[in-house]
Amino acid sequence: MTTRTITVEFNDKVVRQFVLASIFWAVVAMVLGVLIAGQIRFHVLNFDTSWLTFGRLRPLHTNAAIFAFVGNMIFAGTYHSTQRLVRTRLASNFLSGLHFWGWQAIIVAAAITLPLGFSRSKEYAELIWPINIAVTVIWVVFAVNFFWTLAIRNEKSLYVAIWFYIATIITVAMLYIVNHLQLPTSLLHAYPIFGGVQDALVQWWYGHNAVAFFLTTPVLGIMYYYLPKAAERPVYSYRLSIVHFWSLVFIYIWAGPHHLLNTALPEWLQTLAMIFSIMLWAPSWGGMLNGLLTLRGAWHKLRTDPVLKFFAAGVTFYGMATFEGPLLAIRSVNALSHYTDWTVGHVHAGTLGWNSFMAAGMFYWIVPRLWNTKLYSVRLADLHFWTGMVGILLYVASMWVSGITQGLMLNSVTPEGVLAYPNFLDTVNAIKAMWVTRMVGGIIFMFGFLALAYNIARTILSGKPVRATVEVEIPEVPPREGLSLLGGFASAPVVYSFLLVLFGCLWGVGHGSLSAVAFVLLVETFLVAMIHMSISGARWGEWYDRLLESWLPFSVLTLFAVVAGGLIQILPMVFIDQTKGEDGNWQKVYTPLELAGRDIYVSEGCYNCHSQMIRSMVGEVLRYGPSSRLTESMYNFPFQWGSKRTGPDLARVGGKYPNIWHFQHMQDPRATSIGSNMPNYPWLFTEKTDLAALPNKIAVLRRLGVPFRELSAEEIGRDSLAQGQGIVDDLKSSGIEIAPDKQIIAVIAYLQQLGKYDPKPPADPPKENPGLETVLEGATTTVP
Amino acid sequence: MSLPNRAPNDPVLRPHSYDGIQEYDQRLPNWWLFTLYGAIIFAAAYWAYYEWTGHMEPGWVRVNNQIEALSLAALEQGAAPNSTKLWDLSQDPTSVASGEKTFLSNCAACHGIDLKGGIGQDLTDPEWIHGGTPIAIFELITVGVATKGMPTWGPILGQKRIAEVTAFIIAKNSTIEKPAEEEPTAPESSAGP
Repeated sequence: MTTRTITVEFNDKVVRQFVLASIFWAVVAMVLGVLIAGQIRFHVLNFDTSWLTFGRLRPLHTNAAIFAFVGNMIFAGTYHSTQRLVRTRLASNFLSGLHFWGWQAIIVAAAITLPLGFSRSKEYAELIWPINIAVTVIWVVFAVNFFWTLAIRNEKSLYVAIWFYIATIITVAMLYIVNHLQLPTSLLHAYPIFGGVQDALVQWWYGHNAVAFFLTTPVLGIMYYYLPKAAERPVYSYRLSIVHFWSLVFIYIWAGPHHLLNTALPEWLQTLAMIFSIMLWAPSWGGMLNGLLTLRGAWHKLRTDPVLKFFAAGVTFYGMATFEGPLLAIRSVNALSHYTDWTVGHVHAGTLGWNSFMAAGMFYWIVPRLWNTKLYSVRLADLHFWTGMVGILLYVASMWVSGITQGLMLNSVTPEGVLAYPNFLDTVNAIKAMWVTRMVGGIIFMFGFLALAYNIARTILSGKPVRATVEVEIPEVPPREGLSLLGGFASAPVVYSFLLVLFGCLWGVGHGSLSAVAFVLLVETFLVAMIHMSISGARWGEWYDRLLESWLPFSVLTLFAVVAGGLIQILPMVFIDQTKGEDGNWQKVYTPLELAGRDIYVSEGCYNCHSQMIRSMVGEVLRYGPSSRLTESMYNFPFQWGSKRTGPDLARVGGKYPNIWHFQHMQDPRATSIGSNMPNYPWLFTEKTDLAALPNKIAVLRRLGVPFRELSAEEIGRDSLAQGQGIVDDLKSSGIEIAPDKQIIAVIAYLQQLGKYDPKPPADPPKENPGLETVLEGATTTVP
Repeated sequence: MSLPNRAPNDPVLRPHSYDGIQEYDQRLPNWWLFTLYGAIIFAAAYWAYYEWTGHMEPGWVRVNNQIEALSLAALEQGAAPNSTKLWDLSQDPTSVASGEKTFLSNCAACHGIDLKGGIGQDLTDPEWIHGGTPIAIFELITVGVATKGMPTWGPILGQKRIAEVTAFIIAKNSTIEKPAEEEPTAPESSAGP
């Protein structure tokens, strides 16, 4: 075969841009993190200013850390390593540039809208719908640019890093689109099409797998390229790569509902989430092993090379966090840990220990090469390593202590059958010192990262951007892909895997003889597969080698692997009627004023500190009232079950205190709750409720299946003011004068109906499926 | 694929190189495989146990049973208080002190640190809307006044702490008189939801 040699120049400009953006946004995210850590302990740091208040800044911190810092870092790593692994230049300069500038524009839009209170209140999915569309478009740009590059590659076989990038692109697209399905009520506001438990399930299917496929799989891909490069050692085990990749992407998706353990979520879903979380342990550790054991023979380099130091520690933190994760997903452990700081510590072990250490290792390795120079200071990088390490350990350890302390105190019941610590604030006061420790840890960590920023800046100033090239031999006749699409599926390993999953599911959900037959088939298939593998394992290996030469079948198989879990867990819940099948309390439809108050509650980010979900636990029932039921949140678009309790649960707070209590509490929480760390909300007392938006909002909710009465815009306004006047009159009897159109009145109206339910199901039940089919027919007509 | 002259225990080094990166093809570590299979077997067994042995009852049913057992146990302990017992308690400095502690963290926000009232009523004057005998105060704290925003403290604080708070209030309010004679015991309070 004749070949010709060409010189390929890599597109490293976009890589350099992403590296710089990542470092910049990392500093922003860490400064914000330190500020909100301070706010939790010292409420004055909220400065009585709406756009500096915790509820609005915490989403900005998480979004900045995940999508701005780690996002830009994985784009840099993906583009840099993919070009070299497939020996070709990125397919399109235009798409690369659009990807970079589009992503930065999205981040800036987020940094403006979130502090202004434009929030969907779904964690890590808070951005409003116009930005959601932009994210989707830019993600598609990324996907096209990436897969197009694969299609024109000069290296036939796809290396394991590429597998992880493929899984990332496909899965994040799927998760993001489904969790952002919504109907706009205005240019800046929309309601999600899922409500109540459906919204909860979709949100945590997304939220958990944002961690899996945005913070984990792309960084594993980066590990697989940069770690062996820096260690100059072969990867430990190719077959471990195969087994842990496929088991990881298949199992991860199922574990989402472990964020909803002990809640009103149906038991079968809780059990499923727990057992899949436990099965996730080994696949995760497969990645850790392949990282750490690749360092065999290179451990001595750790003493001198900061890159390997960061990689070794990062992978170790990955192992620790992925052991802690399954542990926290055990139902009884979760009863203690959930809603406390333990979860916060867990996620920071991942983001600080795994993501930011892997990012640091990559930056220290990549920047001198991209600018053709040497790292400015190895000693400064060492300093960064040790300050980072101390910062993380202070952070994580203080969150363990505070989470476990508060969890134990809240759940503690005396032999007389009453709460040992009836006042929630007793548990807050017990952990305030830990909040200070956490903040100190965060500050130390931030300074370590600032050392990186300085070190990288000096490195860049000492060099010049380099045009990296590679000589590639290209055959005159372009080689064919290894397998056709059909050839990807029609092979023994794929068929066995499919059958095992099928029989496993039939065994699990079936009853009686169906289950028994499925079990026999399951065991039989497993045995046949094992025997077959021992005979034809080598041929399976050849088939897999050819699969690696075929990007499309590989990607489609990955899609199948990640789709299964969501289908089985979410679809049954999407197609049930939430008003039926439960003899619980039926949620009342909000009055217009209560709906307006709820939307203020949502946009202020109250869910960041307050849950609305009383779990099925003795301590919770004694403290907050009977455990929450699914029917109690069926009209909630979005759901507000929450994931962290810095303050108490609010599911049944309505009627517990008089209006004047809420009035004074929102003005100055310390007036009613001594020692409270909640911010003051002075602007709620001066700003007007947006009553004009209500007719559109109610129309959209009706379309989503909420049985609102038909009201004209005029009636809605009159209704709201009349209800507000009632609260105003009540406040007047305590000597307080306020107009009925102020936001605080709407918030009080909303809070006072929390926990007020109908004992009977709705007389005019909403359609079979509140949510889905109405949306499909109405999606085109709602944009105002 | 394997090199011809390698020793039987040497790992196989795959010949293909990706941008200079090569891969060994080590066997999967046994302990890792045990972890993987063990977790899968545990998952299947746990699912079977919960799905088919009736342990999958809804959480709210489970917790209601637990609460019921708890309140039964609580009922068996100590008889319900009456005015005389509560008065006696108000003469005991230890009980008054613990009552004060409970009061400060749960009641002072509305009734004031000095008990002079605020959102809630003044507790130092002779005016008692719902009755000023020790047992009436005890009962009121236990049940609450829903319309006025006084929470139902019974299930939250429990009998002992409510009795101590009552004792503290009696000690602070000189207008409450010592009950004359033995009264009938209070009706069963609604402890537990």
